[in-house]
Amino acid sequence: MNAFTIGLLVGLGVVLVIAAIAKWRTRNKPMSVAEKAEFLSKRRARMLPALAVIFLSQQATFFSQMTGGEHVSAEKAKISAWLVLSALMLFALATKGFWFERKEVRDLIDDENTQANRNEAMRLGFLLAMGAAIAVYTLTMFDPTVTAREAVHIVMSFGIAAAILRWGVLERRAHRDA
Amino acid sequence: MPERLANRLKERRAELGLTQAELAEKVGVTRKTVNTVENGVFTPSATLAIKLARALGLSVEQLFWVEN
Repeated sequence: MNAFTIGLLVGLGVVLVIAAIAKWRTRNKPMSVAEKAEFLSKRRARMLPALAVIFLSQQATFFSQMTGGEHVSAEKAKISAWLVLSALMLFALATKGFWFERKEVRDLIDDENTQANRNEAMRLGFLLAMGAAIAVYTLTMFDPTVTAREAVHIVMSFGIAAAILRWGVLERRAHRDA
Repeated sequence: MPERLANRLKERRAELGLTQAELAEKVGVTRKTVNTVENGVFTPSATLAIKLARALGLSVEQLFWVEN
């Protein structure tokens, strides 16, 4: 099993452990659908900016080797774990998230205001991803050593991090006014 | 000057003795959405505006109006 596969498995494992802990922490709290939606919505608003920071901090490993050096095994594993986190965050952005919750709770969490915030976040994410793509394209005119993998990594990082951060900011603002 | 959708959601809700959470439950949204509509941070869809007006016993025009 190579380091990239190990990284993918570790990333998936971490996601499952976090989901299990989140579920376990709310096991003895009898809540109505509305209370649960409120509770989870506030937790999401707190988590999103932190997730964006973790996501961006993971980029250091990748970009430290952009000058053409070889990644050691541990770095390859981290890059694979980053891929899992990217897919997870993209999936959370594109769907209602909270996949292990009941449908009524999920529907309520993704109400009109949340959808508007999510759409605005995706709009910004798309614009920044395209901006990053243009910048990388321009860069390759002067430095043709940039690989396709590196280019994709930069575009994904900008797009996903910006969208997650924006969503978090909008959600926190909506809750803060309460 | 940009137009904005003003409302008397907070006053009417207080008249009826409803909390944001109770009103939110009546119209099927979270408290956050009611709060952002009340504060003018979020402009609701026509569907939500009608639901809010109905829950508060008013017409949409009595509850919302455009301000310059």
